[in-house]
Amino acid sequence: MSGGHRAVNAGCAKTTLRRAQGGVLSAIRGPSDFASCLLGIGLAIIFSLSACSNDPYPPEDGEAKVLYSSFDAAPRTLDPATAYTTKAHSVTGVVYDTLLKYHFLKRPLELMPGLAVDLPLVTPLEGGRTRYRFTLREDLLFADDDCFELNGEGRRTREIVSADIAFQLMRLADPLIGSPVAETFANIDGFVEFAAALEAYREEDPAFADLAAHEQYAAAGGVRGIEMPSRYVLDITLHRAYPQIKYWFAMEFTTPVPWEAIAYYTGQDGRPRFDDHPVGAGPFVLSEYDKQSRYVLSKNPNWYGVRHPEWKAPAAIFPTEGDEEDRRSGRMAYAGRSLPLIDRVVVVREKESIPRFNKFLQGYYDASGVIKESFDSVIQGDGLSAEMEGLGMRLGKAVSPDVFYIGFNMNDEVVGRSNGESSRKIRQAMSLAVDSEEFLRIFQNGRGVPAQSPLPPGIYGYESGYENTFRRPNIERAKELMTEAGYQNGIDPTTGEALTLTFDTSSTSTAGLNQVRFYTNAWRQLGIDVQIDGTTYNQFQEKLRQGDYQIFQFGWVADYPDPENFLFLLWSKMGKSDFGGPNATNFSDARFDELFVSMKARDNGPQRIAEIEEMLSILERERPWIELFHREDYSLYQGWVKNVKPMGLSIPTYQYRDIDPTSRSDKRKAWNEPVQWPAYLLLLAGVMVIVPGVLTYFKERQ
Amino acid sequence: MGAYVLRRLGYGVGVVLGVLFLLFLLFFTITAPEDIARKALGDKAPPEAIQTWLENHEYDRPLWPWQDWDENLLFDHYRKMLTFDFGVSDADDSPIIDRIKAGMGPSLSLTVPLLVLGLFVSIPLSLLVAFFRETYIDRMGVFLCVLAMSVSTLLYIIGAQFLIGKVLRWYPISGFDASLAMLPRFLALPVLVGLISGVGGDVRFYRTVFLEESSRDFVRTARAKGAGEARIMIFHVLRNAMIPILTRVVLAIPFLFMGALLLEAFFGIPGLGSMTVDAIQSNDFSTMRTMVYIGSLLFVFGQVATDISYGLVDPRVSVE
Repeated sequence: MSGGHRAVNAGCAKTTLRRAQGGVLSAIRGPSDFASCLLGIGLAIIFSLSACSNDPYPPEDGEAKVLYSSFDAAPRTLDPATAYTTKAHSVTGVVYDTLLKYHFLKRPLELMPGLAVDLPLVTPLEGGRTRYRFTLREDLLFADDDCFELNGEGRRTREIVSADIAFQLMRLADPLIGSPVAETFANIDGFVEFAAALEAYREEDPAFADLAAHEQYAAAGGVRGIEMPSRYVLDITLHRAYPQIKYWFAMEFTTPVPWEAIAYYTGQDGRPRFDDHPVGAGPFVLSEYDKQSRYVLSKNPNWYGVRHPEWKAPAAIFPTEGDEEDRRSGRMAYAGRSLPLIDRVVVVREKESIPRFNKFLQGYYDASGVIKESFDSVIQGDGLSAEMEGLGMRLGKAVSPDVFYIGFNMNDEVVGRSNGESSRKIRQAMSLAVDSEEFLRIFQNGRGVPAQSPLPPGIYGYESGYENTFRRPNIERAKELMTEAGYQNGIDPTTGEALTLTFDTSSTSTAGLNQVRFYTNAWRQLGIDVQIDGTTYNQFQEKLRQGDYQIFQFGWVADYPDPENFLFLLWSKMGKSDFGGPNATNFSDARFDELFVSMKARDNGPQRIAEIEEMLSILERERPWIELFHREDYSLYQGWVKNVKPMGLSIPTYQYRDIDPTSRSDKRKAWNEPVQWPAYLLLLAGVMVIVPGVLTYFKERQ
Repeated sequence: MGAYVLRRLGYGVGVVLGVLFLLFLLFFTITAPEDIARKALGDKAPPEAIQTWLENHEYDRPLWPWQDWDENLLFDHYRKMLTFDFGVSDADDSPIIDRIKAGMGPSLSLTVPLLVLGLFVSIPLSLLVAFFRETYIDRMGVFLCVLAMSVSTLLYIIGAQFLIGKVLRWYPISGFDASLAMLPRFLALPVLVGLISGVGGDVRFYRTVFLEESSRDFVRTARAKGAGEARIMIFHVLRNAMIPILTRVVLAIPFLFMGALLLEAFFGIPGLGSMTVDAIQSNDFSTMRTMVYIGSLLFVFGQVATDISYGLVDPRVSVE
């Protein structure tokens, strides 16, 4: 009985499977229905494909004079008192305006008046003090903003006066703000005392701390060396000679800031913080700011260049002076035209370099760097590949105003000054062993200029023909120097073993360590065993503070185009161990110091050049640094972008750029036609896989 | 039921406190507060600016209670998290709660379609391969599933960006625009990649579930009683397979709010996943701990919600 039951069940199971299959496709009654289904799906795919587009911008952007760019991460702050990164300056550099500006076309960079009527009037005063008098243009307005309602309902802007610059300078001194450049402005008479007074008032009187910033500054008595003889005149008095201060007046640290913006944008009551909501007087306003996604800079109708084109102010028109290359590239055709030339800059967030570069190749970004992964297909020899040239792209090269170097701790017993002539020869030998050109070829795709001195091209005092005796690789001479130093074949006579040194680095990634190994391998040729000590950045800083290091690598990017901004890195008064300064080598040379102090206070001219040359010869002989290279930035630009001339120093030049939107639109269309045949192929493949199965099913069912 | 939920929540408190401790320990084992300051201020920041930043952000205290019982970072860490005082980002001082509010929309716009479409794709596909079991469709389906599971999501992303975005030019390679007209265009590629990378595992899982259910006695009984195959599948097999499906879905729902780390980061979607990646890259401890804390809370609540939902879909299950 039970066996019969099992048999029935087994029979049932067979039928079950068939019925189950019937369940899935029960709605389809035959092969013709199935074909109709496939046809429907196919048509749906075709229709959806015809609506496909890889254009990431809305159609209304198409013909406008809009520049498209990208950013990988939003700047931490846009407060001009604290913003000190290239990312931040790409916004603050055009949203805020400054008393002085750099000439767009002249190289080396040259200052010219911006918001100021002229360059500052410099007057030496008694006691070694110096006064800089700036005269502000009249009828300058801040960009329209809600914060000006603090002055009365319906108010959207107000005139810029010298007190707005004084206010910003006092913000630099404010310890609560923590400006990274406060030390530089401590050259202003009474600057440090003002900071101390503010701090003391805040500690003593809680009511004082509750006042608005501008009221606190006024109550604290202001800064002695910042005076406003009239509404448009600003006097800055320095208590010691520091001619480089003028460059700081071309940086956003000294831009006019309205007190209303600070009082209004507190991050409370639903208002953003001033860090994220700049209120300036530059050629553009930040009209949209989503740190995670995109920001938009729009032409500022209140900018003096837009409101008063008849002034023909030097920083508000396209320069009328340029060199041969400017003429050849067509830039001079713009001479005298009012700025800005474009309406908007749309900057979209792209965290990853490959999608960013691919979108550039599709025409959706107007400029791009050259990524490592595509370097060989983009660059051939010194120029663009034929493919890139065929697309109408252009390559811009600019040597960055920076220097990368290996430093020796001059307080160290082996490589430092106490070992006298012997250690000098070791440093000279080690310098001769490092081949910067080879380093650049291996690690930087050849992008960079081997450094002969701390001064990069474009900085006053740089001589293109200058060749440092110890910066041309020569292993034989290096070995001789080691022998002269008492370390024949690198053997330390006191131990009878290879001279062992330590290279401290906080760059502990594989790539970073490979670069350090390049140096240590070079020194191994001299018999020197250099051990790599990888630490965290903080541990490294701690070692620097304690003087517990021998060899390290650093880089420096200029704040302004003056040799002082590089050579101060070797001034004894900037010594790391004694003064906590950036002279991490602790290099100290009486003659170098004397020359530095003199050069620093001197205007450019033959005397200054002579002093710089002597300083460089001291460095060449003493070798506290092994100068490695100055970076070279490669940038790609679409053919429709006009007037590209990088200025370095993180200075954005959007107001000078021009766009040919018609050419862009045409090329984008041509480059981005969707390829549809693979979709049909996929569909066909799907049909070929599914149809036999379904037909088999129908056959079985019948 | 109430006692069970309370007990599970009690375990959850332990889990959350443990997660917070582990995060603190791991983070400060490899990073010092000065590193956070330097990352925020940049390498050129002088020591005075670093010190001011540490004071303003209350990182100038010792890490552990035994160093200073009254003022230490560990107690402060627990106090802030347990009172939901997320504070401001270490990277840019913006209020974290605002960033979470802003990031939730983009994250949900990616993860919700991904979850829904994932179900719509993987359940029918698994039904298909289950019904064609032991045929070449089933074998090919399983093979493709294993293949899909074996490939890294990163490879799918890069491959899709290259093939569909760059070569075929069907959709933008990356980007985001919340407007209704543009949103589908930007979501197409990440959703497609998310579907492909997830469908293999889902189909294999649901196929197993359906196969198991379709061989149960009640299915046979239903057939014996003359129920139609469609009815059997939808009202018997699918309904009885709801528990494992529900477990998967309910557990996934809380994490929809957390976004998709890789997809958001690579496709430039400004959601919470992307924000978490940014926080990790910029040593932004405040944001990182907030996201980990919220993630652990969602996990605990997701577990309890799953248990409760069992009872709702299957009256035979009761939680005690």
